[in-house]
Amino acid sequence: MKNQNELLDLLQYGLNFINKSNENIRASELFLNNNEYINIEIEENSIKNSEIGEETGLAVRIIDNRGTLGFSFTNFIEKKPIKDTIRNAIKMMKAGTPDPDFKDLPSTINNYPSINRLYDKDIEILKIEDCFAYVEDLIKLCNNDDMAISQTSRFKTNISQTFILNTNGIEISGKETVCSIMSNIIVKDKTTNETSFGYNWQSKREIKELDVLKVGQKSLEDAKSNLNRKKVKNMKVPLVLTPFGTLSLIMRPIASAIDAETYQYNRSFLVGKKGKKIGTPHLTIEDNALMDGSSGSYRFDDEGVPCKDKTIVEEGKFLEDGLLHNSYTANKDNTESTGNGFRSSYSSTPSIGTTNFVFSTGDIKKDEIIGSVKKGILLDYTGDSPNISTGDFSGLILHGALIEDGEIKHPLNETMLGINLLDLFQKIDAVSEEYQVFGSYRAPYVRIKEVNIIGSAK
Amino acid sequence: MVQDELLKIFDNNLISRLADKAKDQIEYWDIRASSKEGSSVEFTDNKSKEISAYQINKCGIRTFLNGGWGFLVLENPNKQDIFNKFDEAIKLAKFSESMVKHNFKIKESDSINERFEIKSKKNLLDVGIEEKIELVKHHEKTSSTFNSNIKNTHTFYYDVTAQTIFVNSFGSEIKQDLSLLRIYNEVYAAKNGLVQRGRNSVGGLGGFEITTTDKAKKISKKSAKQATELLDAKSPIGGSFTLIMDPKLTGTFIHEAFGHACEADHILNKESILEGKIGKKVALDKVTIIDDPTMGKGKELGLPYELYGSYFVDDEGIPAQKLRIIEDGILKNYLHNLETASRMGEKPNGHGRASSSTSKPQVRMGITLLQPGDWKLDEIIEETNEGILCEDFQYGYTDPTSGNFQFKCKMSYKIENGEKRELMRDVALSGMTLEVLNRISAIGNKISYSDGMCGKGGQGVRVCDGGPYIRVEDITVGGLG
Repeated sequence: MKNQNELLDLLQYGLNFINKSNENIRASELFLNNNEYINIEIEENSIKNSEIGEETGLAVRIIDNRGTLGFSFTNFIEKKPIKDTIRNAIKMMKAGTPDPDFKDLPSTINNYPSINRLYDKDIEILKIEDCFAYVEDLIKLCNNDDMAISQTSRFKTNISQTFILNTNGIEISGKETVCSIMSNIIVKDKTTNETSFGYNWQSKREIKELDVLKVGQKSLEDAKSNLNRKKVKNMKVPLVLTPFGTLSLIMRPIASAIDAETYQYNRSFLVGKKGKKIGTPHLTIEDNALMDGSSGSYRFDDEGVPCKDKTIVEEGKFLEDGLLHNSYTANKDNTESTGNGFRSSYSSTPSIGTTNFVFSTGDIKKDEIIGSVKKGILLDYTGDSPNISTGDFSGLILHGALIEDGEIKHPLNETMLGINLLDLFQKIDAVSEEYQVFGSYRAPYVRIKEVNIIGSAK
Repeated sequence: MVQDELLKIFDNNLISRLADKAKDQIEYWDIRASSKEGSSVEFTDNKSKEISAYQINKCGIRTFLNGGWGFLVLENPNKQDIFNKFDEAIKLAKFSESMVKHNFKIKESDSINERFEIKSKKNLLDVGIEEKIELVKHHEKTSSTFNSNIKNTHTFYYDVTAQTIFVNSFGSEIKQDLSLLRIYNEVYAAKNGLVQRGRNSVGGLGGFEITTTDKAKKISKKSAKQATELLDAKSPIGGSFTLIMDPKLTGTFIHEAFGHACEADHILNKESILEGKIGKKVALDKVTIIDDPTMGKGKELGLPYELYGSYFVDDEGIPAQKLRIIEDGILKNYLHNLETASRMGEKPNGHGRASSSTSKPQVRMGITLLQPGDWKLDEIIEETNEGILCEDFQYGYTDPTSGNFQFKCKMSYKIENGEKRELMRDVALSGMTLEVLNRISAIGNKISYSDGMCGKGGQGVRVCDGGPYIRVEDITVGGLG
């Protein structure tokens, strides 16, 4: 890999090349991203694969005076291929149709936030042989458990360097690290032969923050708690969401629905709800990019716009400025980008993504929440997700349990749940003080007053 | 891309020098490299959103020793890099081996030295971006002007032209010239605050002629029609029903709920309901399921291209082949890659596939199919007193350890007294995979395939699935209450 100065020189060379062209260019941008990673995979509770790799790519965005975008990318980081890629982007731009909504790329900004602990030197010097110590604990955990029959897990570290230069004066670069562990454990009840799985993960900026054993223990615990599944009958009862349940039934759907692009195309169930109450006062959600050391924290997005902390829903009210924008959707709405323009890789243009997505915790213990339910359902995991344009949800509860007299009785088989999200938000009547972190999401336990459960017991 | 530039890196000199390095250190190695160029055109509401072109070269070196794998990924490889980094790749296999619990050897398979080529009438590299834009514009116009309820349209076209090379320590050297494309159209219709979506796609291996087939021409109209019809659809009522699945839904069921459970890595990892079931009866006598990704199926169907899920060889150099999975209700075979076949004492059967040269091959399906029976569709409907006819799906998922699955259907019609009645939307059905295979009460006589990308372990590969209309008794349907 070339060093930082060589890369910057190459990008500057590219920008100069664009500036010399005679096309009707309004603005252009060069984005370069380099990743170096280590990846260790466990299968059948044994180390299976050790991998190291590198990925570098350069992407060019050019818009003309008609607002037409041309996009091109390559992984040949040399002068000639960079010129070819730029020529390609211009060719693509000229072939496109006008888009009056594409007004400009972001302009020079100087007030980038400072966030601590986004880069860990320990990850930089980490060698693959040092990484085995992290996964060994997971393997031991399953070896020492009678019911655990298998485990698939993955340990990963990544060092990422990003450079963004555009013709409007943006010139920013940054270096970040991330490390993660994922564990999927299968257990078997030796008497009934019933099997079940548990799945958990963690991602951190600093390796010393990674609690590998905790992830494994949680997976094992979840897997065991889902044995001896029983069918239940149809019922109308309170629903308690675990943090994982809150993540999939409330937080991820809201994250999709407040994506300004989805919203502008009227594909969001929150269209028309700005400034209005969409839930009970228990519902407060923010998108906060500025938390020290958190894996969802960023100083700038993939267009070079500073990231920030934004409240989305405040005590049940969906705020007027509760949408997440990149520069395109912001221009279209005559507002400013919220710094949420993120790319899945250099090979795609910036779409919209969340940073740290946080559901504010309540003031009641999770045990009290479950304890308060006379008869109800606990939902931990559904492979399903709601229809974002309608808010309708109808899905299978893959991990869940029957609650009776404030106690968890047994897990569920072939049990489904149907509800509209706006209805669900209006029925939130308790939020726990405990929360769990899933990568960049922070989710508490949440109680829903009443839902329809479709069981398959005759 | 300069023709054959990448292929020239892997000359006999390099390969024999790598073999020398590997000797006495590791037991197996392979290298996959690809040189790809492609373009994409994305339109929303009749406006170009993104028009792009790219050029990428990549390479992955895989090493193996006594049960431990190493994998090293290189950007934009050249001869010197590959030669130098090969030592590091050897080290990775040794690291894995030092920690591995299940020691095993890779069974040697026959070497292949061949060059395969996807033929096309209209080479993608000869088609200008303007022509691709015209195609996308046409679909946008068709769907957006379908009627006044259409609020939003989206069309995405992409193509790839690639040269790839595979070399391994068994002496294989396989070169491929590939080209493929896919076009996808999505339409949103709205009425009285209700929004509904229709989407359709066509993909295949070949040239630009893929876009001129009947099926490809119709996608935008079909999406618009579906979205519009769903506006007046009713919400389903939950309960237990007799269900007629169309070929798309049958294919999805065969792929998602059953096919994944046949992947031998899941068997070894004890996360499959089919563990220990080879030779046993898992379905009714009339059920036969195969996976056959060999080339030529497009021609059989009268299409001027190869099906999206087909391939010449898998990503471990094993030829694609027709594999019987269930024959007359008996489970015959699992899908294997080199590793699972070696460990389970079977022959590899061509299912080691990777999403790109920088990802490791996993056990994956190709073209999975439920073989037809002798029922005509009319007969199936006529002889169903009360039930639901489900066409197409939105998505589905399965708990692999229990076989509990759920699918969300796109278009579902009530069946009453043997007649197709009103349309319902968002019908979610669930059940247990093996119970369904034993509750099929009718199998249709005509098959069709649909194509898509299948995700597993973060990798997406091209697949097809298919089958006839089938009728299944006693399936749980969830409604909105």
